[in-house]
Amino acid sequence: MTAAATVSSVRRPRRLGRALPGAFWGLILLTPAFVSLASVSFYPIVNGLNLSLTNTSLITQDQDFTGLSNYVQLWGDPQFWNAWWHTMWFTAASTVLETVIGLGMALILCEAFKGRGLVRAAMLVPWAMPTVVTSKMFGWLFDGQNGIINYLLLHAGLIDQNVNWYGSPDTAMITIIIADVWKTTPFMALLLLTGLQTVPISLIEAARMDGAKGWITFWHIRLPLLMPTLLIAGLFRALDAFRVFDLVYVLTGGGPADSTETLSTLSYKVLFSTLQFGYGSAVSTAMFITEGIIALVFVVYLVRQIRRAQ
Amino acid sequence: MTDMKKRPTAVTKPVGHVTIADRRQFLIGSAGLLGAAAFGAGTSLGLGRARAQSRAEISFASAAFFGKETFGDLIKAFNESQDRILVKNIALPPPSSSTEVYQGLVQQLARRNGTPDVFSQDVIWIAGFAAAGWALPLDEYFPADKRSAYFNGTLNACTYGGKLTALPWFMDSGMFYYRKDVLEKHGGKVPETWADMATIAAAAQKAGDIDFGYLWQGKQAEVLVCDAVEIITSNNGAILAPDGKSSLINQKGAVEAIQFLHDTIATTKISPQDVLSWDEEPSRQPFTSGKAMFMRNWSYVWPIAQDAKTSQVVDKVGVAPLPSFPGGKSSACLGGYQLGVNANSKQREAAIELLTWLSSTETQHRIALNFGLAPTRPALFQDEQIKKEQPFMASLEKVFTGATARPITPQYAKVTLALQSGISKALVSGKVQAEMDALADQINKIVA
Repeated sequence: MTAAATVSSVRRPRRLGRALPGAFWGLILLTPAFVSLASVSFYPIVNGLNLSLTNTSLITQDQDFTGLSNYVQLWGDPQFWNAWWHTMWFTAASTVLETVIGLGMALILCEAFKGRGLVRAAMLVPWAMPTVVTSKMFGWLFDGQNGIINYLLLHAGLIDQNVNWYGSPDTAMITIIIADVWKTTPFMALLLLTGLQTVPISLIEAARMDGAKGWITFWHIRLPLLMPTLLIAGLFRALDAFRVFDLVYVLTGGGPADSTETLSTLSYKVLFSTLQFGYGSAVSTAMFITEGIIALVFVVYLVRQIRRAQ
Repeated sequence: MTDMKKRPTAVTKPVGHVTIADRRQFLIGSAGLLGAAAFGAGTSLGLGRARAQSRAEISFASAAFFGKETFGDLIKAFNESQDRILVKNIALPPPSSSTEVYQGLVQQLARRNGTPDVFSQDVIWIAGFAAAGWALPLDEYFPADKRSAYFNGTLNACTYGGKLTALPWFMDSGMFYYRKDVLEKHGGKVPETWADMATIAAAAQKAGDIDFGYLWQGKQAEVLVCDAVEIITSNNGAILAPDGKSSLINQKGAVEAIQFLHDTIATTKISPQDVLSWDEEPSRQPFTSGKAMFMRNWSYVWPIAQDAKTSQVVDKVGVAPLPSFPGGKSSACLGGYQLGVNANSKQREAAIELLTWLSSTETQHRIALNFGLAPTRPALFQDEQIKKEQPFMASLEKVFTGATARPITPQYAKVTLALQSGISKALVSGKVQAEMDALADQINKIVA
């Protein structure tokens, strides 16, 4: 006991002497990354939080600390909850559809066939297109009078009169979801394709030798091994979908009857049309918190998956 | 500023704040330094510099409109017309980006450092700027006798809290387009009441002469508020009480008017369901391709309708004041940019002089001819040159007489968002009274 204590007490100063400059250099080298991250992401978030606790407005020139009163107002604001539910619905529907369709596409593109390289490249075209262009394009496709969707459905006998796709609260959100699915599914497919390619072929060959058919191979080998990729891709997609702005802004502006209002368009209106920076920041912070919760759910699930795999 | 949106844009790009005045000063300065007699024998450089220094220097900020010339050219002309004041032109984004123009102006005015000294503003910002104390009251400079030279509606829009805080500059308003050839078959008389309009439109639609009786703009956007202001005012209703402290939108006049708009889609079916998602351009297209009989829109439609390349209805279109309800008066939603003086301007006299010059008969005349923007002085509509070069504009005097301001309140930005949402809900659901009650509650909370 005493010997050990003496030994360690003798060694300690030497260790400390060595460790100090090491940690010091490490910190120095971390500083640029930390400063740049802090200035572009940490500072704006804190500043936004700070603004959300004031009644700052460019028009009234107020800038007083008001505590949580913006959040109290937000809690009782039907416009906010309306936008919140629309955003959640949009996020859930588009993420699920894009993941399922994207997985299908990835499975096809994983197989060897003639012209696969070309198809893989062509698949990315919708994703590479600016969203505003996509929005305008879907505006014309789903146009109530001259849109090709109405024309096709009418001639196929599926509808008996033109549907006013984004002019009716029943269909406006669905139209926007379809546009988003068209645009972003290739991105999901690409992420999942890279995931599929990491599944060892030997496993699949072994399964095939044991007599497993395609479906069983997929369900018991490919899907479990793909799960982490699937979750990470889903997380990215959900967080991205949650901020949907351009599609709504260009296609409907939030209407008709607020049926497509999302949190991004609402906070844009509050921040930049009415110039209420305080309340607008509260809306943005509420978005930030909701996104944080979504991310947390995904991460917890992901960690559990990885642990189980180990 | 919905009405100015569809003007052709994109030629002028405001490059920072570099303006003609800047460049000119730079040239004068550098030429003086080099000692080169670049301005020719007739100009004495020394005198030119001394004069520039003794002139009162002020700035003018405006959304960048253009036509045969730009506002920069206009300011240049002012600088050359006298030698007491030197104006620097600050070009803001074009009117199509009106949110950015608004933000730009608010940021500059909120600094309270006197820049810009003179500015132009969309009619819907006037009350907000006045309430914030950024706009100088102009009553002492423009007493009642000088004001009578302007349209009443624009003066109302320029007045906040009983004070004139802006000076009328140029305007636009909603108007009633009709197809002369189709109307000929159905009585030939331009309808003056909404009910007559609906009857004629339904008859023409039934006879198969056109696809749509009446086109308007029901998209949840600023233009919906314009359409609503027009029809509500034409039924002696109002959105806000005269004192601006409470809402009248759930009163009989307003509810009947919104009900009429709803009925054009649901009952009389003279409007397609699509108007609920249409703003100006989507509603203009079927009209100029000959599919519709009546349409409410701004003045920009006229040149498009008369251009054989874009229109199937050249020479078949007429324009009139919008219909009204029995006992009401035709009303047209006012748009356009009006002038204001910064309350913190350090060169007040010079600013007033520029303001007076910009809004003068001569300058409005020039703007009408070179920019195609309609004057706010009724007298100019009788001007021979304007009649000759802009015959359509000259014919609009009657329409502009009914020009009505949108609700005058410093909280307009919030009120309009509530109106867009509430009216859209009423039009979609058809529960007009219930939605208007809810909307009135919401507006009361904002303006109280």
